[in-house]
Amino acid sequence: MEQSHIKKQINFIKNSLFEQGYLDEQFIQLEDLQDDANPNFVEEIVTSFYSDSTRLIRNVENALENYPLDFCKLDDYMHQFKGSSSSIGAKKVKVECTHFQECCKARNSQGCIRAFQQMKQEHATLKRKLEAYFQISRNE
Amino acid sequence: MTVEEIRGSSNEIDRFPIGMRVLAVDDDPTCLKLLDGLLRKCQYQVTTTNQAVTALKMLRENRNRFDLVISDVHMPDMDGFKLLELVGLEMDLPVIMLSGNSDPKLVMKGITHGACDYLVKPVRLEELRNIWQHVIRKKVETKSQSRSDNQERQNHGGEGGQEAGSGDLNGKLNRKRKDDDDDADDNANEDDDPSSQKKPRVVWSIDLHRKFVAAVNQLGIEKAVPKRILDLMNVEGLTRENVASHLQKYRLYLKRISQQANMVVAFGGSKDASSYMRMSSLDGLSDFRTLSSSGRLPNPPLPSYSPSGMLGRLNSATGMTLHSLTSPTLIQPTPTHSITPINKFQPVVTQTHQNTNLFQSSFDLSHHKPNTQLPDFNPIDESRIFTGSLKMGSMSSESFNLVSSSSTFLDVPPPIGDTFHDQLPPTGGGLKYGYSPAGFGTNITSTASVPLEVQTQRQGQYGKQNYGQYSSNGFSTAAPPLSGGGLGGNGAMTTAPLMQHNRGSGRSSTELKMGPGQEYLLEQTKLSNGFVANNGYDSLDDLMNGMMKREQDPTIIMDGEFGFDPYSFGSCI
Repeated sequence: MEQSHIKKQINFIKNSLFEQGYLDEQFIQLEDLQDDANPNFVEEIVTSFYSDSTRLIRNVENALENYPLDFCKLDDYMHQFKGSSSSIGAKKVKVECTHFQECCKARNSQGCIRAFQQMKQEHATLKRKLEAYFQISRNE
Repeated sequence: MTVEEIRGSSNEIDRFPIGMRVLAVDDDPTCLKLLDGLLRKCQYQVTTTNQAVTALKMLRENRNRFDLVISDVHMPDMDGFKLLELVGLEMDLPVIMLSGNSDPKLVMKGITHGACDYLVKPVRLEELRNIWQHVIRKKVETKSQSRSDNQERQNHGGEGGQEAGSGDLNGKLNRKRKDDDDDADDNANEDDDPSSQKKPRVVWSIDLHRKFVAAVNQLGIEKAVPKRILDLMNVEGLTRENVASHLQKYRLYLKRISQQANMVVAFGGSKDASSYMRMSSLDGLSDFRTLSSSGRLPNPPLPSYSPSGMLGRLNSATGMTLHSLTSPTLIQPTPTHSITPINKFQPVVTQTHQNTNLFQSSFDLSHHKPNTQLPDFNPIDESRIFTGSLKMGSMSSESFNLVSSSSTFLDVPPPIGDTFHDQLPPTGGGLKYGYSPAGFGTNITSTASVPLEVQTQRQGQYGKQNYGQYSSNGFSTAAPPLSGGGLGGNGAMTTAPLMQHNRGSGRSSTELKMGPGQEYLLEQTKLSNGFVANNGYDSLDDLMNGMMKREQDPTIIMDGEFGFDPYSFGSCI
């Protein structure tokens, strides 16, 4: 049936996101919060995350252009980023944030830049995947 | 006291906690939205704001509009701790801190600033389901506090009061709490029957409090007497009694802060931050309170906790205060006679009371790079540690362990069957602070030599003072001054040769490598005076085994029960 086929697809995508480590159980919490009173909660919160994190990323990019690097500020940004990404269960993004923070602590400029690139990548990848996921979910 | 009474003016009396009114503050929109969703799921009545100033405004407008406040620590317009303080002072509402950082230092800071709880992001639904208990608790404590308030004031039992820290805070806040009528009358009449009449309270607003603090600082905390403070403040309508009671609370608060600040150091990082909440009820040390002690923590390249912190924590954790140690000198004598079996213990001990000395000395001993943290130790911290450790001795061995555990190696469990590894495998997460051997308590004895290596290594690992030294328990050569506060205050620095900590990789403080032949006072003995009567050195193997055991099991260390468990304490950062 059309319905169950879509459902299967949705589940498939979701499971693969979990298995590949893009999402963690926090995402499940989000889904639990979605109900009749809050029918689009997950999508709303993810959207909010992406708009806010885009701003943060821009801030980090700017900060990375000023040498010598202000590690405190960068660490600060990462702390924020980590907080919000962990709130939606963005596992890989969170991991990259931690790497970045470690580089900050070690005052490793190159490391920071690299970690940031990684983080941006994970951030973008997850965004794509989630968008696809929501797309399909909406069709349900 | 019926439930309704407790709930006070809550609207949803019958359905509490449903409908509990929560104010959520977080600058991050994603987190705020999540919080909102979660709280609504718990059926609370949620108000959110992303600005601390707005939150304060809302609270000030109507204090009774909310039952509970949840606030992020990290906010651009105002530090979460500041908000916490203000809310506590002005409104006496329970505040829960929220942070992406589970650093024990921060947790401790939250506690010392009066937070009821500290949650780590991402917040889970289960955690929020239980937050209503803080509202009830606060009300219960407030009521009982107000009843005993008069008594307390009269007895002036503040200092030694073993009241739970939160109780104290409640009492303090209680006094500041606005009455329903927002009475500004002074509530100095101690003879008023609290239960029969609503005592008009003096509202200690921020401004008033600021004036008060300024006056106290001007006079000097020791010389600050209510009459003088009152004169300096020059506020109409304020009586000497008001000032007196406020001063009493303030003193307690300071004590607690400085004491607890030390404790932060002791905590390792990985465990659940909420376990730290226990600390909130700890009492402070009366002797070492100083205004300056507010949590000066070493600043690390690595997270570091001043060892003194640990002791401090221990002290409070076990409710041990240095009451028994009325003065540094007290410490001195004790060690001497209780430590007889320990070589050079005495000398070390005596030094301890010079908190700084102890601490410094311990580090001086280390040949390796000095513990970077050394300089950061607060004298208070040290004293605390020291006293803590000493005190420990007299306390049950368990408590002693706590102390020792702070020193990281104190853990020497009795029969240790495991093989002893020289190198403790690095513990994952939390550092284990010396597992204090059951009897080890006396880590006060500082063995000088060994620790050096250990220390330095340890330092690297934990960024903390070498606690390892303590573990060595070897009180051998007490030459090195007891590592003061830092190391669990016992300055138990094991002799260098004995303890070679290979710290190398291990972060656990328990990495105490003791030479096989070395005898350390590992044996746990009850201290008569707070020193571990470790008489004679037991085989290092035993100690190490014990430690290794601990080492292996990280969970032991950082359990919510700090220091309560003789072997726990891993949290050295």
